[in-house]
Amino acid sequence: MPVYARSRPLWYAAVFSPLPATGSSPEPLHRLAMRAQRFTSFVSLEPPGALVLEIRGSLRLFGPLESLKNRIDADWEEIGVRARSAVAPSAPAALWLARAGEQALIEDPAALAAALSHLPIGCGAWDAKRLERLRAIGVVCLGDLLRLPRAGLARRFGADFIDELDALCARGPAPRRAFVAPELFHERCEFEVEIDRTAMLSVALGPMIERCARFLRERQAGVRRLRLRLSHRAAPATRLTLGFAGVTGDARRFDGVLAEHLSRLTLPAPVRSALLASGPLERLSAATLDAFGAAAGRDAAGAHAGALQLIERLRARLGEKAVYGVSAVAEHRPEAASRRVHALRLVAAPAADGLLVGEDVPRPVWLLQEPVLLAPRAAPAGDWRVEQGPERIESGWWDDAGIARDYYVARHAHGARLWVFQERRSGGWYLHGVFA
Amino acid sequence: MLAGLLADARVWKLKGASAAPPRPVWPTGRPALDAHLPGGGWPTATLVEVLIADHGLGEVQLFLPALIASQREALGQTPWLVWIAPPHEPYAPALAQQGVDLRRFLVVRPASAIEALWAAEQALSSGACAAVFLWLKGGDERWLRRLKLAAEEGGALGVLVRPDRHRFESSPASLRFSMSREDGTLRVELLKVRGGRPGSIDLDLR
Repeated sequence: MPVYARSRPLWYAAVFSPLPATGSSPEPLHRLAMRAQRFTSFVSLEPPGALVLEIRGSLRLFGPLESLKNRIDADWEEIGVRARSAVAPSAPAALWLARAGEQALIEDPAALAAALSHLPIGCGAWDAKRLERLRAIGVVCLGDLLRLPRAGLARRFGADFIDELDALCARGPAPRRAFVAPELFHERCEFEVEIDRTAMLSVALGPMIERCARFLRERQAGVRRLRLRLSHRAAPATRLTLGFAGVTGDARRFDGVLAEHLSRLTLPAPVRSALLASGPLERLSAATLDAFGAAAGRDAAGAHAGALQLIERLRARLGEKAVYGVSAVAEHRPEAASRRVHALRLVAAPAADGLLVGEDVPRPVWLLQEPVLLAPRAAPAGDWRVEQGPERIESGWWDDAGIARDYYVARHAHGARLWVFQERRSGGWYLHGVFA
Repeated sequence: MLAGLLADARVWKLKGASAAPPRPVWPTGRPALDAHLPGGGWPTATLVEVLIADHGLGEVQLFLPALIASQREALGQTPWLVWIAPPHEPYAPALAQQGVDLRRFLVVRPASAIEALWAAEQALSSGACAAVFLWLKGGDERWLRRLKLAAEEGGALGVLVRPDRHRFESSPASLRFSMSREDGTLRVELLKVRGGRPGSIDLDLR
């Protein structure tokens, strides 16, 4: 038994609550999985918010079970993530115990069923339908379920369910897929001499940029970002983020954006070493490559690359937010019908997506950020007059920003053509756009 | 003797000028205006300057037919439109409604006039743009000359929109006009037309 026990897997489960729900990549769970890999080579994801770690092999390195568990728990705390954890001889059992909030440490498979028996069946992450059917036959906690005759359960819930229960109690196999960390380019370069001029720096970084491009080429992958860290002897490190308009692995584009950054960089001190790290790798596919080029041949592809380089150069100097596209949105409220697009989808997107207005409905080229009050009540006299309208726009009643407006095209005495509206509730007149 | 003639720099210059491929010209959609412009439309690969006292006189409308045609006809040659420092937010439904391809439309918001000029120079010389619009309050002649060179290099139509008060300053733009409005008609006063006819044109533009 002891020999057998030593070779049996032992599972640590952590259930995170709540995980920061960012749309960023890598996903938060992946980041935590990468961090957990310092404790064991076998980490497995349990989406949406849990991980399981096989820790039998780690005991030799990190000491007795209890201190290993404390150590992993402390690691979550250190990065400010709240986790409930448990250790059990089966991965599902560890997850059940962790979800129940029991700081359990169970090593002996024989003791497992007894330790699980009082857990409510809600700790299993089973779907609502299954839970409902179980409750209908009087099952409240796992112990109730394990006492039921297996043949009857198999008939009602299928043979898979029996296998699942066996796996839970460490009586049967429960294969899991190991998490494989996504590949990144990450290279550090110590310079032979300290570099004090940016012109020299761009030469010195050339080979590393070239290696990064080769690394990506070999994987048929590209990146949207590269991070560059320049270390100095007597000053905090200088950090640069090279952003690209789309996924690329092209060394010339890397060079172009780097040159733009370096041209504006003032080094606080000579540079001793540099670290170049890629963001998450993305596959260069037909979708991420360039659609114009694919459709129209090599010349167009070259010209399109020119457009991407232009966007990257503008962004490198003016900032990401200062360079954007606009897109029409299917919204009745005029101020919500247009939005800035920073992630330029240079590919797909039908030309007139989300367009609600017909060709003959007047819409101004300029929209003011906020409507400007022209007159609080009745129609103002004097420097402008109505030429066309009204067009009634009422919408948004389902949210707080509901509007009820009559829009007109008006002409200012100086000749400007304006888009104005009268708010129907207050009777006030507002300027909202300019036809230019 | 022929060789000697050909070696003459002046002859070469003349030959070079005539052999250069004609720059495309985009009709304005208004024959009365086209009649005054060399080649019968908006020139490309150069700088056009528009002087206005107030926004909203139809300064964008005047160019829209040409912009849309240039986007359509450049077929895969990435005819981008770039608007730098526009006075208000460009409104997507209006642009899409008129036929602008928003997938190739870029807005740039620089923090200063110098950055705006720099961005315009980059866009004009990139070879990726059909037209680059720049709204500017000032701008000295040296910078405007750089923009014109950039437009010549990149083949784009560069449009500079400035307040009317700059009309008496010298400008390298090869076409300069001011816009004003009187009782439903738009008056375009062509102050300078390289290779065309200066003069005043009244247009029936809303």
